[in-house]
Amino acid sequence: MNGPIRRVAIGVFICMSLLLAGVTWYQVVRADELRNDQRNPRPLLSERGKERGLIVTADGTVLARSIEDPEDPRSFVREYPEGAQFAHLVGYSSFLVGSSGLEGAYGPDLRSRRDLTISDLVAALLGRDLRPNSIEVTVDPDLQRAAYDALGSNRGAVVALDPATGAVLASVSSPSYDPSLLLGNDAAEQFDILRDDPTRPLLDRGTREIYPPGSTFKTVVAAAALDTGAADPGTTFDDPAEFQLPGSNATISNANGRPCNDGVTATLLEAFVRSCNTIFADLSIQLGAVDIGITADALGFNQEIAYEWEVPEAVWNTEQLAQDAAALGQSGIGERDVRATPLHMAMVAAAVANDGAAVSPYAVSRIFGPDGTTAEETQVAELGRAMSSETAMTLTQMMERVVTEGTGRGAAVPGVRVAGKTGTSTGADDFPNPWFIGFAPVDDPTIAIAVLIEGSEASGESASGGSVAAPIASRLFELWLSG
Amino acid sequence: MERRAEALTMAAAALLAAFAVALVNFANGGSVDAQTGLTFLVFVLAFGTIFVSVRAFAPRATPLLLPPVVALVAIGFLEIYRLAPERAGLQRWWLLIAAGVAAVTLMLLGRGTTSILRRYRNLILLLSIGLLLLPNLPNDWGLPLRGLEVNGSRLWIVLDLRFTQMQFQPAELAKLGMVIFFAGYLADHQRALREAHRRIGPIRLPEPRQLIPLLLAWGGSIFILIWQRDLGASVLLFAGFVLLLYAATGTTGYLVAGGLMTITGAAAAAYLFDHVQRRVVAWLTPFEHYQDEGFQIAQGLFALGTGSLTGAGPGLGRPDLIPNASTDFIFAAVGEELGLAGTVAVLALFALVIAVGFGISFRSRDTFRKLLAAGLTFVMAVQVFLIVGGVLRLVPLTGITLPFMSYGGSALVGNMVLLALLLRISHEEAT
Repeated sequence: MNGPIRRVAIGVFICMSLLLAGVTWYQVVRADELRNDQRNPRPLLSERGKERGLIVTADGTVLARSIEDPEDPRSFVREYPEGAQFAHLVGYSSFLVGSSGLEGAYGPDLRSRRDLTISDLVAALLGRDLRPNSIEVTVDPDLQRAAYDALGSNRGAVVALDPATGAVLASVSSPSYDPSLLLGNDAAEQFDILRDDPTRPLLDRGTREIYPPGSTFKTVVAAAALDTGAADPGTTFDDPAEFQLPGSNATISNANGRPCNDGVTATLLEAFVRSCNTIFADLSIQLGAVDIGITADALGFNQEIAYEWEVPEAVWNTEQLAQDAAALGQSGIGERDVRATPLHMAMVAAAVANDGAAVSPYAVSRIFGPDGTTAEETQVAELGRAMSSETAMTLTQMMERVVTEGTGRGAAVPGVRVAGKTGTSTGADDFPNPWFIGFAPVDDPTIAIAVLIEGSEASGESASGGSVAAPIASRLFELWLSG
Repeated sequence: MERRAEALTMAAAALLAAFAVALVNFANGGSVDAQTGLTFLVFVLAFGTIFVSVRAFAPRATPLLLPPVVALVAIGFLEIYRLAPERAGLQRWWLLIAAGVAAVTLMLLGRGTTSILRRYRNLILLLSIGLLLLPNLPNDWGLPLRGLEVNGSRLWIVLDLRFTQMQFQPAELAKLGMVIFFAGYLADHQRALREAHRRIGPIRLPEPRQLIPLLLAWGGSIFILIWQRDLGASVLLFAGFVLLLYAATGTTGYLVAGGLMTITGAAAAAYLFDHVQRRVVAWLTPFEHYQDEGFQIAQGLFALGTGSLTGAGPGLGRPDLIPNASTDFIFAAVGEELGLAGTVAVLALFALVIAVGFGISFRSRDTFRKLLAAGLTFVMAVQVFLIVGGVLRLVPLTGITLPFMSYGGSALVGNMVLLALLLRISHEEAT
């Protein structure tokens, strides 16, 4: 009788082997296909339901938090209490459309640590807290909100830094969006609407778009001139109504179409305070692309600067401009191929304010655990010396004159010494991009700022840095220094 | 020595259950709590009882059966606790009851031998048929006992004692009674069944008269299928009987005839009955019918695929997305959270239990005990194959429980009694 039982047993074990083959088929061979099947909600749910850490400011303002899902107490939903005003900085973490901003950049830190890594398991067994880490951001919520309000219906950006450390005090882009729209089940449709909006609300104009910096770039050229000793504020230049670009029929003229000073000579200081294109084109060609390039590179141009996420490189093309004097003349006034993000121009202002030492910007001061203890603290990263201390001091005086008597009068704050530089570069469809960069107070700067308004029909053809951007900076300086 | 190793591996498996509970707690943001200790205590108490009963009433039983069973119960308990903690609490009670029933079984058999089951096989058959029919009791007779229809199948009875209700699936016990009867009947009639055959050319065919028991079993299965809509039990009983018939007689003809009858019955059922038809559709094309028939199987496969090699971790997957995950689809839940490592471990443990079961049968000298051990092992193996194969789309889903692992008290009691019988036979036939 053992014969037939043995045959049945063999049959049974063949069947068990089939089961083994079956699990191998589904869990190994077809595992990825099944996991990534559109109808399999597990990968998305594993991200969605998990608790993520806080994003808070130093004063405790909550910018992002996870709250228990009222429909499913075991899972969490993300909340952005400050909404559109912080949208580009904080970003979003959506299980349907991915992530951006700090939510994306700090995804691994903010994510719940209840995963199946061996170290997490050990930590759990040792009774460690497995709740996610949180991050503290450097922005000042009042300044951030004020910057958002000041931009109003303009397209543009404001970036404010602590000149000594590079800590971001405000980073606003306008128009903005409500990040909580991207959390729901209709996130994909909402995302499409935002993406197709011609005003590009999803774009962080402060850190993810480069613009010609216009006359604000004259601070870089002036710094190079002072640093190399090629000029000082009193150095005089010819003062034509139009500057003839060498080897070209093109000319460069000033914003008002007139000479800078008396039509005979003008000093560097006068040219800077009045933002004379004629003289800065002349100066740039005299200095040469290389010398300007040395200062620009020291200020972080042509390289990837360290920030919370990848920032497009600021551009000053030394090699090309060394071959082309006409292009160099145009580039010296921040036009043609010169480009920078508002964040980068805020860095330039900060370097002047910080005695000539450039620092890397950062927006997250520390990562802290669920019990509040610091897990990781951001160290101030010196980018290096961008200009000598004397140059920075001289340039500061020149920039202060811009605000007291020059194009930047709109940035003035009663009772405060403000330094700055305006700019009005050529934007899309030839609409002007008004700029202002500056810092305050002059004796001991605590804030450096860059304001950019992106030229469009909304801002008009006559908008200038002095008329549109400088007043925004004034409001923010006033708020910051009164507080 | 062997007994100590057995006790140690059992204790390790009980620790596994407690550890798993702690891990699920961690995954849900909790920590080690009373559930962990309680689980460990219940496992120790339940299997300790069986262990002690084995030492007392079946001291020469194989030490290889209990440890893998404890491990299977532990892994099953992990997923039940993870899917429905309140069910896990009930399951712990059921585990204690099942262990008690198994201990009592061992004690009763310890007074005589398993031969007593052979003597009373007809009574056991009647009892089993009675049990099978219980769920068909009408609801409106005012009895404390009534049938209950769940998911379109009529296989539950409710014992309504006013203050509390108990639900029970009598088929889980009837299954054992049937196997005991088959083994007893075949042990008595194997010679006649083996030798009565006609030859048509080289093929040996059984006498038509000898096909009567086969036809009766077939009829019984079809009855269950129609009146209780329990596809699983229907296939299980018929397959068990045919395999035992073949084991007893060695006549391939029975296997062929049984196979033909299964195919005929299955084809007819698929053609005639809606609920069988839906299973076939779900089996063949789960993704094409994702929204309805195929949803459960598709979710089961997603769970297995997402679990991949190492799984999401206890409490960290989403097996709750699979309908009936803690009963029919507990294997997929294991696959999602413990990965291929977990599913292979489960299959290996079952293979070990089945191999030991067959070993007991091989070593038995007494025909009845040989057939009983083989029959019990078959039934368990077929059940594992049907439900795991159903999850893996090797066969249509029949909706039966995975032995020792699925949530359900009756199944646990039934399987523990099965275990007790195997242990007792191994004691009686120990050399």
